[in-house]
Amino acid sequence: MSGLRTAWRHLWPWALILALAVPAMGADYALGKATLVITYAIAGLGVVIVVGQAGQIALGQAALVALGAYVQAVLVGHGLAPLLAMPLAIAAGALGGALASLPARRLGGLYFGMSTLAFALIVEEVLARWDSVTQGAAGMAVAGFSVFGWRADATLAQALVSLGALAAALLLCARLVDSRHGRAWRAVRDDEVAAAACGVSPAAAKMQAFVVGGALSGLAGALYAHWIGFISPEQFGLVFSFELLMLAFIGGARRLGGALWGALVIVAIPQLIAVLRDHLPGDWARAAGLELVLFGAVIVAVVLLRPSGIAGARP
Amino acid sequence: MKTLRSFALAALSCLALSAPVSAAPGVNAKEIVVGTVSDLSGPIAMLGVPVRDGMLMRFDEVNAGGGVHGRRIRLVVEDAGYDPKRAVLAARKLVQRDQAFAFIANMGTPVVMATMPIIVDAGRLHLFPFSPHRATYEPLHPLKFQNFAPYFDYMEAATRHMVEQRGYARTCLLYQDDDYGLEVMKGVEAALARLDRELVERTSYKRGATDLSSQIARLRAARCDLVVLATVVRETVAAMAEARKIGWEVDMLVTASGYSAQTHELGGAAVEGLYGVSVLPHPYVEGANSQLAAWVERYRARFKAEPNVWSVMGYTLADLFVRTAEATGPELTQEAFARTLERMQFSRDYFGSPSYRFTPEDHLGNRHGRLAQIRDGRWVLISDYLE
Repeated sequence: MSGLRTAWRHLWPWALILALAVPAMGADYALGKATLVITYAIAGLGVVIVVGQAGQIALGQAALVALGAYVQAVLVGHGLAPLLAMPLAIAAGALGGALASLPARRLGGLYFGMSTLAFALIVEEVLARWDSVTQGAAGMAVAGFSVFGWRADATLAQALVSLGALAAALLLCARLVDSRHGRAWRAVRDDEVAAAACGVSPAAAKMQAFVVGGALSGLAGALYAHWIGFISPEQFGLVFSFELLMLAFIGGARRLGGALWGALVIVAIPQLIAVLRDHLPGDWARAAGLELVLFGAVIVAVVLLRPSGIAGARP
Repeated sequence: MKTLRSFALAALSCLALSAPVSAAPGVNAKEIVVGTVSDLSGPIAMLGVPVRDGMLMRFDEVNAGGGVHGRRIRLVVEDAGYDPKRAVLAARKLVQRDQAFAFIANMGTPVVMATMPIIVDAGRLHLFPFSPHRATYEPLHPLKFQNFAPYFDYMEAATRHMVEQRGYARTCLLYQDDDYGLEVMKGVEAALARLDRELVERTSYKRGATDLSSQIARLRAARCDLVVLATVVRETVAAMAEARKIGWEVDMLVTASGYSAQTHELGGAAVEGLYGVSVLPHPYVEGANSQLAAWVERYRARFKAEPNVWSVMGYTLADLFVRTAEATGPELTQEAFARTLERMQFSRDYFGSPSYRFTPEDHLGNRHGRLAQIRDGRWVLISDYLE
């Protein structure tokens, strides 16, 4: 009973947001937005694990999303069922995460962060150059998600599929964070030397965090490829990586719920601003970059008022 | 009872009269809603802003004259910043919330490819997107229309014309590493193949690169005598400036993406002599016909800015929409508009545009460009539209 009460305490703000958004914006638009928020939240969970739990700087998370998206797109393009392709997309993200974490054995702090940035650039370059598989810079179309003949073409279906994936990802992360792996990640985050003295291998803990983060990114990438329907290497550039990083810090990098709140801010606020902008008078409504300026102001306000993130502790 | 029946009939008649003339989404008795997913803050904002202003200007003119069959046209602009994620949400907003009748000039291939299925699945028209992707007009779809000449077609004709007329022996290519660059490369290769020649050297750059010194050095080492540029404005200037800086007086030919007043404004003397392909001439006031001069004045007065080729494009696209909507008649639906556009022929106008022609079998309105050259700090047209 108390479990249900806890779940409801976490879920009611989301139910309220959706209940308000559907009549205000229209079901299709609101559910389309919810689908992207949830997909971003899954990728954001990966950043929360790597950055918030294990304390590592990850500047190239979009590359792991790209690996998931491309593996899914290529396999589905070759006739594999999306549901069968998805575990391989997740595995590709996890493998990418493991590779990206290798420099952590020798590098730390910002230097390691720079190596993740380099990893992202390499992945983007490979995707652009490997024409025969990825169709290079021209990009590739991705078919819709389907399971046993049922196609998730409607936005409601897409939102439900994403929600199912997010629920599974949240459950897995909650279990991991409460397990010895989670304790090892936090020990490494707080003091690497002390963690090693207690028998925790910092290198192994970091790699585990990156593998989990990469797997979540791969899952998000696979869903993203289906929902957007067209992927090209430039979509997974540094801007996307920084968006994911910003998502984690705005939402609260040390809490799993932070990924959801961060995704809501990153994906939904610019669209909300776009809707409000339509009501501005005269030439104000058509000022170029107005959304970006207002979005920047929202971010600054969130950081000032909630430095630990929306889901984090109050200052 | 009789009174009640009469009242009910009268009420029904009132309802029928007050109902919209057409049940098509985005059309009611008073207005037609047109949507565009543009780039006003991203990497091609220098196109997006003037294109939007050109469209606004044409629609404002129509509205001031009483609209199309009594309906005002309302343009709803969404800024996706070249980001397909934002574009998908923007397209859904325009489809569902704003009930856009048609989409015009959606901007950028990732944006167009991500939003096009949403738009056509909702039964809305997808008109004249800024993307070289063939999926915008092939395979034939009842709601998709394109009027931008494909890079492949006009660069094939332009390269062939240049090599044949000027006798270049060593043609090379500098291209942006994306779908745009690849399309141009295919066109250049096809032209050279028809002349039984090969592309001597090719080298690429990533979008946003500012230093092209290594690429220019490589092309020079290959002793190219014509360099085709699949670049946009900034990279065109950088390529020409680098070549001149190292004393290499090679001829260069840029696509319509580099045919812009900004090219000679930014490049100055370094870009003097650059060849370019124009699919729509730049609206220079000097030497303009009276209609064009008056248009430039109206544009300046409306936006407090100088118009450029992108403004003309926006204006032209909106004009194609207006003329087709007028020809369709008061019973405006997506289906009726599309079938009318398939019969439309738009002759060359005071901007110097090509003629646009659509048929039920071909939804691509134009395949041709013409050659221009920068002489004394401005683009001068040096050929008619090339077949």
